[in-house]
Amino acid sequence: MQPFTYARPQTVDEAIALLVEHGDDAHMLAGGTDLLIELRNGWVHPKVVVDLKRIDELAPAIVERDGFLSISASTVMADIVADSKVQRYFPALVEAADVVGSVQIRNRATLAGNICNGSPAADTAPPLLVYGADVVIAGPDGRRRVSVNDFIQGPGRVDLGPAELLTSIELPIPTTPMGSAYARMTRRRGTDLASITLCCGVDSAGVTRMAYGSVGPRALLKLDETGVLADAGASADAKAPLLGELFIDASPSPTSMRAGPEYRVAMLPVLGARALQKAIDRLAEAT
Amino acid sequence: MTTASVGTSPQRFGGYGRVTGHQKYVADIPLDDVLHVKLVTIRPAHARIISIDSSAAMQVPGVAFVMTPADLPDPIPRYGPQYQDRPVLAVGEVKYHDEPVAAVAAETKEAAEEAAKLVVVEFEELPPILSVEEALAPDAVLVQDPSIRSGPWVETNIIREYDFGWEDVDALEADYVIERDYKWPAQTHFAIEPHAFMAAPDGDGITVWSTIQHPYQLQKTLATVFDMPLSKVRVIAPDPGGGFGGKQHPKLEPLVAFMAIKAARPCRLILTLDESFTLVRRASAEIHVRMGFKSDGTLVFQDYLNHFLCGAYADTGDRIAAKASFLSAGPYRTPAVRIKARSILTHTTPTHPYRGFGIPHVSWARESCLNEAALALGIDPLEIRLKNLAHKGEEHVPGDTPSDGEWEQTVRKAADEIGWHTPTPPGRGRGLAVGVKSGPTTGLSYSIIRLLVDGSVMVYAGTSDMGQGARTVFAQIAADELGVPIEQVSVVSGDTAIVPYDQQTSASRSSVLMGNAVLFACRDIQSQIRAMAARFHGIDEADIVVDQGIVQLPDSKVSVPDMAREGLGRLGGEIIGTGEMRKEAYPEHPLGGTAAFFEFNCTAFEVEVDEGTGEILVHRHVTVGDVGLALNPVQVRGQDDGAAIMGLGHALMEHIIRDDGGRVRNVGAIDYRIPTSLDLPEHLESFKIENRDGPGPYGVKGISEGSLLVTAPALAAAVTDATGVFIRDLPLSPERVWRALTEREQA
Repeated sequence: MQPFTYARPQTVDEAIALLVEHGDDAHMLAGGTDLLIELRNGWVHPKVVVDLKRIDELAPAIVERDGFLSISASTVMADIVADSKVQRYFPALVEAADVVGSVQIRNRATLAGNICNGSPAADTAPPLLVYGADVVIAGPDGRRRVSVNDFIQGPGRVDLGPAELLTSIELPIPTTPMGSAYARMTRRRGTDLASITLCCGVDSAGVTRMAYGSVGPRALLKLDETGVLADAGASADAKAPLLGELFIDASPSPTSMRAGPEYRVAMLPVLGARALQKAIDRLAEAT
Repeated sequence: MTTASVGTSPQRFGGYGRVTGHQKYVADIPLDDVLHVKLVTIRPAHARIISIDSSAAMQVPGVAFVMTPADLPDPIPRYGPQYQDRPVLAVGEVKYHDEPVAAVAAETKEAAEEAAKLVVVEFEELPPILSVEEALAPDAVLVQDPSIRSGPWVETNIIREYDFGWEDVDALEADYVIERDYKWPAQTHFAIEPHAFMAAPDGDGITVWSTIQHPYQLQKTLATVFDMPLSKVRVIAPDPGGGFGGKQHPKLEPLVAFMAIKAARPCRLILTLDESFTLVRRASAEIHVRMGFKSDGTLVFQDYLNHFLCGAYADTGDRIAAKASFLSAGPYRTPAVRIKARSILTHTTPTHPYRGFGIPHVSWARESCLNEAALALGIDPLEIRLKNLAHKGEEHVPGDTPSDGEWEQTVRKAADEIGWHTPTPPGRGRGLAVGVKSGPTTGLSYSIIRLLVDGSVMVYAGTSDMGQGARTVFAQIAADELGVPIEQVSVVSGDTAIVPYDQQTSASRSSVLMGNAVLFACRDIQSQIRAMAARFHGIDEADIVVDQGIVQLPDSKVSVPDMAREGLGRLGGEIIGTGEMRKEAYPEHPLGGTAAFFEFNCTAFEVEVDEGTGEILVHRHVTVGDVGLALNPVQVRGQDDGAAIMGLGHALMEHIIRDDGGRVRNVGAIDYRIPTSLDLPEHLESFKIENRDGPGPYGVKGISEGSLLVTAPALAAAVTDATGVFIRDLPLSPERVWRALTEREQA
């Protein structure tokens, strides 16, 4: 293990001060499920590791506030899976959080870390996109709010300045009924990184939201407003071209070992149609 | 008096320590004043080494020295189980990805790791030989320098070529002939404990600690390399944390020993999981098979061309190619068989033995082809096997050991358990396959047993217990034969300075060969007890019977421990028995010896295939093995279930992926996937056939490999039954199945 200084700030401001002071030499620690691997493999060489877990404001919490469900930065996947509010409003986020890593990982890994890591295969990105989530960011210049869709940019890249940290993820609580479902493709049923992550949401206005990841540099969000996809009575043949349209921007890596690009592209509409059907069924149950 | 232990399942010796973390593996053994070793490697699979510059590495605080080929004797020592071709460090060029070119010794692990990155190796990358086609091309670069080889193939990339078989395949008329090609990819052993090696100078000798399965072979290798008597080389081999064949033969021990001697201090090299991926692997193979049948399904001939890709050094690859190919035609009665097999050098990690020893490769081809033929002929795949299966006592390979079991019973049991004769549930498919593997062709095991004055027993048996539970069954045998509770038996292994010679822990041999040695050592004690009883009671030895822990006198009986205590008298002491079990070689046999026994298995599946994604859902997985007798039923179940799951990994997901330059791309656990508990079949059941017809104690046969011999062809047959597609490459990944389904739609 390489040497570094370990800092444990008590407030967001103290944390930001450390980030300002050390710049790129400072790395943030929440769950540590990415950082520890990077340290072990020698991919990063921080001079300071800033542990965020003792900051009161970031302490694990899932609360309703101003029409949003706010998930604090150190809330772990296992807590999200178990939370009745998330289960009620955002079932696809529960499904996605429940397949991140293994039980041990889910007891440590945070939702914030999953998004800040910027992995194209992040399981929670598609549901956050479908649910229209925002992130709240604190930095030297104060607080700002940005949508997850704008926050994630590309492999390992997110809209987070060198002295900024993410304090919470906020999901607007649906005001009209919505059905949603998560699907993924992996090489095995046990712990695995996904070769496709996908979330579909259908609302009572007939809008279908489809988000998918691991098939390009970042997870993408696509909308169908024709009402055909969301129509429980429309035939598979009628839906197929519209579904195909949603996945037109997929550009899976040609060199990935998880699955070939041709297979990934072929599987998107297969998984998409299944998640869509599940979302339609769930919407019907909810109304 | 004790109740019989054999046939029951007492708690596993060492099991508690293993599951609670108390077991001491090589990496857990502290040595004072130790230097930590890190290997220096370069990425290419094939490159000419121009220079090695250690100067920057030497500046790292705590670095003691950097070992390079220049620091080793010239010519550099070579070693290997079959051919002495593996150098202590790469000579002149690297021949596989991550072949060590140098090694750093430092006061700390961290310093060694940092310095290893600073060793500058200048090299010229060269094109690698990776495929059968490239290796056999007339103008192919030679993987090995002919000067270190001998025999007719030195100017080629062929290690050796074999021609097996009987009668003239071309002379026979068949009603139906089928010809197919099958591939088996390379895999890695993935033992949870990576390889670890330590060495320390010990007076005028050396002590080496290793995760090795064959400590006595390592002792011999080190004695040869260092020109020392065997008595000066001590190998300490704690119970390995999984071996699966990947820890059989010496690997980096000579390097670490040279470093320890140079430093005059202990040296320690603990590999990472990632490093173990490029240290050992399983053979890959390409098999061309042609089969002829009468229209009723009777086999007329089998014709094979087997290519085993063995890697840069022969290691055991050639032996695997030979032994597996010899049994290509399987357990069937075939009028004519032709087998040509080649073991081939490539610029890849040397092939090491792997559970199954090549039999899964040849069985994948044979059983898949047989299944396809049965369907083409309109014959039930079960019936075509029963029709051709050798009966007990019948030679399936002329001149070798005849069938040694009621094999039909095994096959029928598997068919019954999967419900072969009941309707298949809608949307599902069933398949089965039959496998047979030769046990060891030679063997030599010794055991010493000490019956101590208090009635407790020490068994010395050099089998490596790497999870199979060898020590438990030896204790069971000794407990029964000497009439002591198993709790009073200790079993000592893993130290060549204490425990007598054992040839190997491999080929599912230990219950049979070491088991017999233990039994014979017990019988030696029994015969000494008999003589003692005769003296003590003043009666004729002929009137005394000693068996199963009881001394039967003409008009009374006494337990063996009580007789020993009485007989040993006031001074006490102990009774020492020795046992030797030999399986002799037959030089005229193509493999150097006949099979000691056969591992025979039938595996059957019921699966569902997701037509959209190609994913296979295994509903039922049944294996049946002919075990002779289960000395310990729980351990037999553990071995059978474990092998079945391992086979499922090979069938569904495991394969080494290389780039065009021969570098392994999926090094480590992230991209080399093995099954987890969530990947297990919904129902996995292992059954055993027990007819007490094996050559080991009480009729036991070797087990441990049986239930992975034909996992892949049985699973593929079930996929065919469910979907109508035939797949001839592995693994049966969703992507591969989907591709086959897509091609079916297009056809």
